Amino acid sequence: MSRFVINEEFLQQIETLQMLLKNNVAGMFGGNRKSRSYGSSCEFTDYRDYTGGDDTTKIDWNAYARFDKLYTKLYLDERQMHTKIYIDASRSMEYGDAKKAEQALKIASLIAYLSVCEMDKVSIFVIKNNELHEIIRGMVGKEAYLTSISKLEDIVFDGDSYISDAILPTNVGYGDGLSVLISDFLTDNDYEAAIDLFCDKKRDLLCMQVLSKEELNPLVRGKVHFFDSENVSRTYKKNIDRDIAKAYKSALEYVTNKVKNYALARGASYMLTSAEASLGEIFFEKLVNTEVVK
Amino acid sequence: MSFLYPLGLLGLIGVPILIFIYIIKSKYTEQTVSSTYLWTLSEKFLKRKNPLSRLTGIISLILQILSVILISLAIAHPIIAIPNAANEYCFILDASGSMNMISDEKTRFENGKDEIKDIINGASEGSTFSLVYVGDDTGVVYERTDDKEQAIALLDELKVAYNTADLKEALGIAQGYFNENPSTLVYLVSDKAYGEHKNVNVIDLSRGEENYAVSDVVYTNKDGILEVSGSVVSYKSDASITVGLYIDGADDPAAIETISVNKGEKTPFTFTASSDRFSSFSVKVLQSDALALDNEYIVYDLESESSYDTLIVSERPYLIKAMLGQLLHAKIDVIKPSEYSSQSGYGLYIFDSVAPDLIKELPQDGTVWLMNLGGSVNGSGFSVQGEVTFDGSDVITLTDSSSSTAQALIKDLRGEGIHLTKYVKCGFYRNFTTVFSYKGNPIVFAGTTTNGSREVVFAFDIHDSNLPLLSDYGVLMRNIVNYSFPDMVEKTSYESSQEAQINVIANCESIRVESPLGNVTYLDTSSAIASLPLNEAGVYNITMTVAGSAREFSIYSSFAESERDPAQSEESIALQGEKSSDGFDGKYDPLTVIFIILAFIFLADWMVYCYDKYQLR
Repeated sequence: MSRFVINEEFLQQIETLQMLLKNNVAGMFGGNRKSRSYGSSCEFTDYRDYTGGDDTTKIDWNAYARFDKLYTKLYLDERQMHTKIYIDASRSMEYGDAKKAEQALKIASLIAYLSVCEMDKVSIFVIKNNELHEIIRGMVGKEAYLTSISKLEDIVFDGDSYISDAILPTNVGYGDGLSVLISDFLTDNDYEAAIDLFCDKKRDLLCMQVLSKEELNPLVRGKVHFFDSENVSRTYKKNIDRDIAKAYKSALEYVTNKVKNYALARGASYMLTSAEASLGEIFFEKLVNTEVVK
Repeated sequence: MSFLYPLGLLGLIGVPILIFIYIIKSKYTEQTVSSTYLWTLSEKFLKRKNPLSRLTGIISLILQILSVILISLAIAHPIIAIPNAANEYCFILDASGSMNMISDEKTRFENGKDEIKDIINGASEGSTFSLVYVGDDTGVVYERTDDKEQAIALLDELKVAYNTADLKEALGIAQGYFNENPSTLVYLVSDKAYGEHKNVNVIDLSRGEENYAVSDVVYTNKDGILEVSGSVVSYKSDASITVGLYIDGADDPAAIETISVNKGEKTPFTFTASSDRFSSFSVKVLQSDALALDNEYIVYDLESESSYDTLIVSERPYLIKAMLGQLLHAKIDVIKPSEYSSQSGYGLYIFDSVAPDLIKELPQDGTVWLMNLGGSVNGSGFSVQGEVTFDGSDVITLTDSSSSTAQALIKDLRGEGIHLTKYVKCGFYRNFTTVFSYKGNPIVFAGTTTNGSREVVFAFDIHDSNLPLLSDYGVLMRNIVNYSFPDMVEKTSYESSQEAQINVIANCESIRVESPLGNVTYLDTSSAIASLPLNEAGVYNITMTVAGSAREFSIYSSFAESERDPAQSEESIALQGEKSSDGFDGKYDPLTVIFIILAFIFLADWMVYCYDKYQLR
């Protein structure tokens, strides 16, 4: 049975959104993104003095008639971006009713759709233990999207996740688009180095933290012995009372703030969402508010 | 502290059981979570715990242990002794007629009961209460009970009487309690003033209310003129009292008069009204006052009440009907002999020249007159031997018997010059009283039938005599009517506390009495006279059922004159002996407090549960 189903009507709605990029676009030619460099698109942007060798078709003869001097018209360049989506495929993302994993896959597929609609290239990776696995490579166009996106169904959420160890050895590109890192970030493993890497490489970064309802607001009380789904040797045995519940809230706040502050401080975007939140809420409210899309 | 049901303490076994259950249940629940990272991290944010908060885990246990303890205590019903806090109370409650007076929209009796209730409610637990009721009878309602609710409930059931109450016997009873316990607090709750009182606390309920009364009502009724006289009195102040005369329950007075009355003095009045006949009349004081029971005096006409409906079976009833119409106040029905079919419901049956075979059986529910019988009738007590016809006429002779019955029947009769042309010769089976005879043969005689009904026999046809032309006819008929209709009561007006004597008529099946307050009793009909004690003031409606036929009459019981102004009493009352101030151990029943605490504990336990379960924080 499919773990995620994207409503076609919702896809049509999401086409109205547009990805916003903060960094210079240095992607391949032929895309739909306005580059900061001059190129050959139809969108006029400036004049410069004509120099020998310039394309004579770009000379503004009207300006020559007025100023008796040759000016070449400059046009914006349009580039194709490369959207890279990294999904944390650790066991913690799927444990329980698997809402987190499901939500992560839905978000990844919709961001991918948004990108292919803008003629961008999309690659999707999963982080499993300290390795990065490419699920979809260089997907371009809606047709490719429709044939490739079902590969997300094959992702197995298992084991631990070492985000930095998995991403650092790979080529994340340079200034050529948006990177989306989807995880619960419930780990004391290093992820900061990965964020730094994306920022160093001038790639836009969206850190999306997905947490379940039980993690955001645990109702459990009394004497419990918790076992970690990723590693059974990690346990927690306590009588959960009011004070511990309060401390849990503080810890949750600390973890989310830590990711958020680290990302924002480096010019990256951050978004916290519940696994139970609707996609409409995520895309039309939260992502719009974080200025990742408009 | 003592316990009413010590076995209830066995419930305390629940405490160790509860603790045992807690120990067994307090295992850690194993649970796998997506990540323990946040829980482990929360240790760093765990502030130093308040020592009291360590108890929070066992608050629920503590509350439940307290609940078990309190429930066990509640079942065991503890009683806590409080030294010298209780007293013994003895109440003497005057329920005499004057306590019917209205004070502050309640009768004095109700006010008195309220006073006693206040004392009972205010008394310390463990106090004992005795109540001596002084009404129609003097008696102890309850003795040394410590049950306040029961004491008040029994007090509520008491009703005021209408007669004079004798407090001496009640004081004697209180003296007994006082002798046994000199610290007994004796309260006399009454509306009478007392000169001195020793060892008795008097709660005086008199408030000096206005009271008017009508009394001494008598009447004469001659030549269609009713003359009523009596007296009115105002007990508290000089007053102008308006008095009205109402005949046969009319709404409008037949006469009305305003009389100036000096305080405490009986002032006479006289009313005159035209009235040929009446069933009853009443004299009313038209002003309202504290005691309504003595504002009206009702008189029922004895003669009217003693008249019964009459059935005449005759082909020629005119002479009889005309005379009875003058003598009776009752309905007279006339039918022909051929129409007679054992009708019932009449007080008098007159068979005039009726063939014996038509009578079949003599009526049982009324007096029977047999006139000019053609033959013997079963149950009549005599036989008919044949008709004797004179040549011309002859005179009949009045009896010279001195028996009381004969004297009543011949009262005022001249007995001379009564001629008959023929008569029926009769022979007796039983004793009859002869009124007239002819040469030893009974002509007019009276007795009883086999079934006990009174019986009068005319052994001739009055149309064959000159009797209807003589003045003796009316006198004889009056005497016979009086004989036929015995008075059910000697008089119709009594004073409350008196005893009415009711004559039990032959074949009387029951005598139903409905008192002024609506209480229904049945009198004993086995003897000739039934006694009816009049304990209430007002109209007693009496229904006497004779052989299935009901006869109704009323008597009036006036409010006792001695109770109309009770404050005049200046008796001294005292209980002999020296009063002691020693009380005895009072009791405190903490059950209510236990239940309140228990309710709070349940509430707290529920809040703790919700606190943990639903994070009400």
